[in-house]
Amino acid sequence: MKFALLASSSFAALCAALPLHGAVDYEHSVKPLLRERCYACHGALKQKGGLRLDTAEAMRKGGDSGPALLPKEAAKSPLIERLLSKDPDEQMPPKHEGEPFSESQIRLLQDWIAQGAPAPANERPEADPREHWAFQPRTRPAIPPLSARAARWARNPIDAFVAQAHEKAGLTPQPEAPSAVLLRRLFLDLLGVPPSAEELAAVAQAPDSSWVEPTVDRLLNDPRYGERWGRHWMDIWRYSDAWILQGFTVARDSQKHLWHWRDWIIESLNADLPYDEMIRQMVAADELYPDDLSKLRATGFLARNFNIFNRLVWMDSTVEHLAKGFLGLTFNCAKCHDHKYDPIRQEDYYRMRSFFEPYHVRLDVAPGQADLDEDGIPRVFDAEPNAPTYLFPRGDETRPDKSRVIPPGVPEVLAFDSLPVQPVSLPKTETDPARRPWVLEAHVQTSRQRLRSAEEALAKVDQKLEASSQTNRPAQSDSSPNLPPATPSAEELAILERDAAEKALHLAQAEFQSTQSKAEAMRAAWEGVPEKVSSTAKAAAQSERDAAVARAKHKIADLVWNLAKTAPDKRKPTEGKLSAARTELAKAAKAAGESSEKFEPLRGAKWSATQFGKVYQEDRFPGFPSTSTGRRLALARWLTDSRNPLPARVAVNHIWLRHMGKPLVNTVFDFGRKGAAPTHPELLDWLASELVEGAPKGAPWAMKHLHRLIVTSATYRMTSSMAGAETSEKIDPDNRLLWRRHSIRMEAEAVRDCMLSVAGTLEPRIGGPSVPAQGREQSTRRSLYFTQNWVDRSLFLATFDGPDSTVCYRRDQSIVPQQALALSNAAMVQDAARTIVSRLTKEAPAELADPAFLERAFLSVLNRLPDDVERRLCLDSLQAFRALPKPAPAPASPDVARVQIVAALLNHADFVTIR
Amino acid sequence: MHSLSRRHFLASMSQGLSGIALGSLLHRDALASASAWAPPTGIPHFPAKAKSVIWLFMNGGVSHLESFDPKPMVTKYAGKNISETPFADVQKNVTKRSSVMAGFQRNLLYPLQVGFQKYGRSGIEVSDWFPHIGANIDKISVVRSMFTTDSNHEAQAMFHTGRNLLDGEFPSVGAWVHYGLGSLNENLPQYISIGKREYLDKKDSLYLGPAHNSVPLRIDPNNPIDFGRPERPVSAETQKLHFDLVRSLNQHAEAAYPRDPATAARVASYELAYRMQMSVPEIVNFSKESEHTKQLYGLHLPHCRDFGMQLLAARRFVEKGVRFIQIQHGGGGGGAWDAHSNLKSNHESNARAVDQPIGALLTDLDQRGLLEDTLVVFATEFGRTPGSEGKAGRDHHPFGFSIWMAGGGVKGGYVHGATDELGFHAVENRHFVTDVHATLLTLLGLDSRKLELPDRKRLAVDHGTPIRDIIA
Repeated sequence: MKFALLASSSFAALCAALPLHGAVDYEHSVKPLLRERCYACHGALKQKGGLRLDTAEAMRKGGDSGPALLPKEAAKSPLIERLLSKDPDEQMPPKHEGEPFSESQIRLLQDWIAQGAPAPANERPEADPREHWAFQPRTRPAIPPLSARAARWARNPIDAFVAQAHEKAGLTPQPEAPSAVLLRRLFLDLLGVPPSAEELAAVAQAPDSSWVEPTVDRLLNDPRYGERWGRHWMDIWRYSDAWILQGFTVARDSQKHLWHWRDWIIESLNADLPYDEMIRQMVAADELYPDDLSKLRATGFLARNFNIFNRLVWMDSTVEHLAKGFLGLTFNCAKCHDHKYDPIRQEDYYRMRSFFEPYHVRLDVAPGQADLDEDGIPRVFDAEPNAPTYLFPRGDETRPDKSRVIPPGVPEVLAFDSLPVQPVSLPKTETDPARRPWVLEAHVQTSRQRLRSAEEALAKVDQKLEASSQTNRPAQSDSSPNLPPATPSAEELAILERDAAEKALHLAQAEFQSTQSKAEAMRAAWEGVPEKVSSTAKAAAQSERDAAVARAKHKIADLVWNLAKTAPDKRKPTEGKLSAARTELAKAAKAAGESSEKFEPLRGAKWSATQFGKVYQEDRFPGFPSTSTGRRLALARWLTDSRNPLPARVAVNHIWLRHMGKPLVNTVFDFGRKGAAPTHPELLDWLASELVEGAPKGAPWAMKHLHRLIVTSATYRMTSSMAGAETSEKIDPDNRLLWRRHSIRMEAEAVRDCMLSVAGTLEPRIGGPSVPAQGREQSTRRSLYFTQNWVDRSLFLATFDGPDSTVCYRRDQSIVPQQALALSNAAMVQDAARTIVSRLTKEAPAELADPAFLERAFLSVLNRLPDDVERRLCLDSLQAFRALPKPAPAPASPDVARVQIVAALLNHADFVTIR
Repeated sequence: MHSLSRRHFLASMSQGLSGIALGSLLHRDALASASAWAPPTGIPHFPAKAKSVIWLFMNGGVSHLESFDPKPMVTKYAGKNISETPFADVQKNVTKRSSVMAGFQRNLLYPLQVGFQKYGRSGIEVSDWFPHIGANIDKISVVRSMFTTDSNHEAQAMFHTGRNLLDGEFPSVGAWVHYGLGSLNENLPQYISIGKREYLDKKDSLYLGPAHNSVPLRIDPNNPIDFGRPERPVSAETQKLHFDLVRSLNQHAEAAYPRDPATAARVASYELAYRMQMSVPEIVNFSKESEHTKQLYGLHLPHCRDFGMQLLAARRFVEKGVRFIQIQHGGGGGGAWDAHSNLKSNHESNARAVDQPIGALLTDLDQRGLLEDTLVVFATEFGRTPGSEGKAGRDHHPFGFSIWMAGGGVKGGYVHGATDELGFHAVENRHFVTDVHATLLTLLGLDSRKLELPDRKRLAVDHGTPIRDIIA
């Protein structure tokens, strides 16, 4: 049926491209064309010139300037005249509002009018956009009554909604999946790793399926749940590690140490932090919980949008993805003009941007590490409370409309209350973060750590010296030699190396001293003991200058040593640097002799400097203001207000998609009028209500409650097999009404994690800095910890549709030859196969015969036993592999043929599929 | 006939890689049924003049002034500030959108660092650094009026995708070709990428799905493609048995999961994978090429051996029907041609590396009758400033630069468009980078608007306009 429909519409499209004199099909060719090109301004959303084109009747009636069409008189019809006009004031579509109609499209309309503009008698105009389902308040639909048959099948209210649709369509749900399949499904779905053989054995012996509920509870309390579902939310919230161009140290896109936000996601999910609270923390933790570093990590969500060169890109992606991720709305379409489908005006886009206009990013010092290149918490703050937002007519940022500052606000269709924006005054520790109790100590610790490293480095050089034939340890000297000899002896080189290491130690000592003095001076200033303030400041200033001298000396020693290692004819550039370093030393020494109380204080945070003005030149530091505008807090409260109909629906749809393989609303980031309608509208609202209201006696907005409901439903438990379901397949071939389960091609991370898990090499450690690109091949950490940004991602993961860190609301599930090559040839897979065979052999109580080995291999890789055909295939292959000429030298263990069998199982469709 | 069979129907029509990417089409089906959209069939929209493309991209920015667009006035007024010359006007129109997109201003004119000669019957001038390309000029259409809107090396991405990186990531022109036309050969990847990339993401297809990604290739018969051979020692016989066993097991999976299209696609994907693994190494093995051919490409000369092998491989891939071979020259950092200083020595040595192989490619394709339906594109992300940077360099210049095309239905011995007297702005028949894409797609018989996905609306500028004037 569906094919026939498709064929007819593409036939129409084909006809539209040809001269056509047959009867024009209004419903299938004229109307879709007008809907696509005209309705945005002449339909339900807008009626420019008082004209609507969404019914033939309305066209005949026309607008302010009379009828738009005169039946049978195509040439005289204003509709055609306007399409053909070259006059910029007359032509339709107007300039900048879309391309002109093609000749064949105009001919189609002409023919239709010439034929008398026939249309169905009861043609209905477009509905009022404000009545669109997604904008309506969320309600809690009544649970449909169950027929006797459905009552036997259903396990919870989800099934009642699904069964209702089954019965309407005459579908029969598929039976429950075998327990081993179901257990594997639950493990992969909730933890992202497969069950162990023991867990499978326990389920196999269970008399009924009463094991499901306690197992689900156990899995939801397993910390690996946070890792598995954390990765899903990282897709939606666009997690990206910093992008630092080779040879540079600053992040151009996203932020250094953004993994703190990833860890916050994992921890929050494991703690079942309510979804509304997660949103509030991500959007406005700095206004809600200033000074709580742990919660401030959440604002990595916004820090991720940092773009060092371009504020426009930064703001655009912030607006676009906040709207797509939380609201399921394509605000980005309203950047240049009013939205063509949804009641979002162009101004609404800039009102949304205005919430974010003041914010910038900074790194805060975390306990124990003061070097912000090593660690630090990326977080947002309102740096420019008065930065104005202007509307850009036609989206052209070079011509902002400066006549009007756009205040923060939300589209009228979603405004249920006034939106109070209250400035938030911040504690002193936010404006002067060095005052946080751990900061000064962190500086001292870091500096002490460096001192130790310098000591160790010198000791190493000394050891080397002692080990060599030289017995004369060079005398301590304060100044380095002027220039090294042209061809230094080994001894001379060694002496210079030692000198450089020694100067490095002196520097570390001076810096340690300086850090301590500064800490003391800063404490004194805060405590305000007058006599102490001045003396400690003097000491701090002095120590800072002493450190500058030590730094200059170290530089000189280092350069001299470098020169010595350089051939005489290539020394020129370094010699230049050396003379500059000497000038620097003279300056530093002079400054050290002058008394002062000024010093650069130890810092508790650093603004992530932008370079909007000029590339490679930092913009002016805006400071850490003492109040925040409260704009983002107002936005967060509006987003999480239970009257806001969208966030819960959008979240529920994302959760459902990842459990079930297909969403209820197919366009997961567009719930607007251009998006798809829900397949089960009542179920969607019922689930959204369950999310917002929570379990009886449970907390509201708890995600684990929703997971539990979904995965214990009969709908979830069905088999994905179509065996014996020819009738249902005929009625609903795409399984839109869920008469079976959709199977899922495992996500890239799960493919790799499962392999390492079966091999027993997957590291259980949770969180921490991302695994750098160079360490990926050797790493045994879960894949979500791999560094990834828009340039840098693992080849293996990318091959399996790994996430695109710029936008990934939904994973693809492609099946391409590159995946076959990766699974057949990657060292990781071949090593895993080897490890798995060793493991199976080791775990076996006695020597394993081939059939017993096969059973164990199937159980651990595919979580099921082989059937007779598979048993025979594999036993035959074992023989065939063994009959091949042995590679020389043949590895003693494990058995190469068995490794090949396991490698084949890792390539099995059942391994990469969640059945 | 339900939608699954429809997919199989489409798959069997287009065959090969695009047929196997079933999985990535699955969730677009809802959109497909909502409108008349359907994935491309692999059949050109109108008669094609070219079947394959060899895309040569010089990373870093080749000086148009010292390659294909000689400007004697630059030498005449060398050392003068542009404002002191009769052409001071050129600086009036310099647009400034935002910091990264702005052009760099270099005001003191820097004389041309190389001489020019007229070549061929057409007498088109080519610089002395490119004599082999010059010798083939009658096969070439030079476009001297290109401009781009990104003045940093991100323009490399722009040249391939048509969009500024700041707008996000978009499929490259090669991915669109692959998406639109699919396969001519079931044993080979259809979109091959050779050479190092920096600013252009290694994933080309993005929203078109991984089936349309380029397959990165190395000229190494032992290990030409990623995962293209076992990374641990496994014999060829073992591999054969491995693929046999996997096929049997996956075919048997049908017993428990009948009529599952994903399983069928998986079986097919393993077959193509196996064939690819066997046929690619053979193509990068040049033992059957004659000595004459090898010398033509300069394989005996250390300075152009690497690039020569890449181009010889390109010709061999074209012979086997590969659609799109993308070759980047001079990767790493901004790119080898990025002559901020010592332009003369920089361009001289880069040209030595590419000139002879490119000349050889054109000659060789022509002699084998392949040039007719093979389009060769020579491009770079931007030109270089007429003014000097430092003592002896030129900066990035997005406002006017040159590219050329040959074969595949374009005119030979032809010049299209022009820059002003200083080579500052493209002034006559100006073309944005997407016009190159549009020309290429037109020659291949594709209409980019018909390839568009319903959920990924492209802008008019993304489609570009074909440069009709250079089409024969």
